[in-house]
Amino acid sequence: MKEVDTTQVYPQDPNKTYGLMELVRGTKPTVGPAPEDMVYSWPHLLIRELVIFLTVAACLLVAAFLFNAPLEELANPNHPPNPAKAPWYFLGLQELVSYSAFVGGVVVPGLLVVALILVPYIDRKKVGVGIWFARERWLANGTFLAFLILMCILIIVGMYFRGPNWGFVVPWE
Amino acid sequence: MAPDKSTEKKSAGMEFFENVYRSIFRYGRIPQDGEGASYAVFNNLFLHIHPVKVSRHSLKFTYTFGLGVIATSLFLILTFTGVWLMFYYYPSATEAYGRMLDLRSSVDFGFVLRNVHKWAAEAMVFFVVLHMARVFLTGAYKPPREFNWVIGVILLLLTLGLSFTGYLLPWDQLAFWAITVGTSIAGYAPVIGEPLRQFLLGSDSVGQEALIRFYVLHVVILPGLLYVFLAVHFWRIRKDGGLSHPSENEPQDVAEKGAEL
Repeated sequence: MKEVDTTQVYPQDPNKTYGLMELVRGTKPTVGPAPEDMVYSWPHLLIRELVIFLTVAACLLVAAFLFNAPLEELANPNHPPNPAKAPWYFLGLQELVSYSAFVGGVVVPGLLVVALILVPYIDRKKVGVGIWFARERWLANGTFLAFLILMCILIIVGMYFRGPNWGFVVPWE
Repeated sequence: MAPDKSTEKKSAGMEFFENVYRSIFRYGRIPQDGEGASYAVFNNLFLHIHPVKVSRHSLKFTYTFGLGVIATSLFLILTFTGVWLMFYYYPSATEAYGRMLDLRSSVDFGFVLRNVHKWAAEAMVFFVVLHMARVFLTGAYKPPREFNWVIGVILLLLTLGLSFTGYLLPWDQLAFWAITVGTSIAGYAPVIGEPLRQFLLGSDSVGQEALIRFYVLHVVILPGLLYVFLAVHFWRIRKDGGLSHPSENEPQDVAEKGAEL
């Protein structure tokens, strides 16, 4: 068996013969420019999926034995806790609602969802695809990260810095 | 495909089991070559959502961090533990909380079951968001994958909906007041807000009607929708040419680059 020269972009395997079979218009099928870069799903992809699944299951079991899911006393419509808090992923919204119910609870989340859906129809230029933090995409990536970090800050404020009547408290006091 | 090794003499019993095995897995045991690996994937209902071949780039752990597979794994575990919990749960305002206590005291490993379901649910929201961030930060939503990004946004909303509807079911103080707050946010929308809130709760406030509505949404409607959209999501990955790859970028115009410098 002769070795394949992998330094080339289109490495030619000396053990194979090559011929032009078909001309394909477009870029859809998984026929990359460098066909030798493909590997079989069995076992390369499947073993990775299995390992991830088993790791996830194992971590959950460990977490389940270490930490109990919260369970407070029986629901009582006459005794609201102060403050009553939404689930953690909605605490950012609850924080915004505390400033303005309509803007924070309706306008902002509505616009965020619409913006998310429209993203790929606005930003269509094929640069920086398949690359983490591509330099050409600094504006798009920066905007996205800014929103994500803002959401995280609002959630953390809602979780730890809000006390009775949604007043500001510090968690370590 | 493994060559037929049936020339040697076999007992009738062995032959029977061999025939049964072959009727289920037509193409031998563990694949030995490329042809076998191909058959193993596309002759198996559960594996055939995969392409026969994938690019090395898409397998790099530091490219995807396995976030989509993690989110899917969590959803499968949530389905399994969720159905198991349904054997013990009773969606009644007078019964539900007692069933929670039963899970802690009288059901074998009931606390593990509930804890796994709870932590997997929290983790799923978290990992779906991380997966979305990965797709964004690698520019993977660009054509031809625009629509799969939209499906992804729908999956995120369904995940939030599932988590939110499940939150009420333990019927403790935490559940009751979190849902009271959460549904009141929906009520702030103009015109449709209040009818939407009443539609979700089946009443003016959180009570038995809300519990049964959230229960049906949580165990049938939302997971059903999520499975449908998940199937479309996976199918589109293949139809859109697999995972995003740097080779899809437009060739850099060398002359233009030179002029800029």
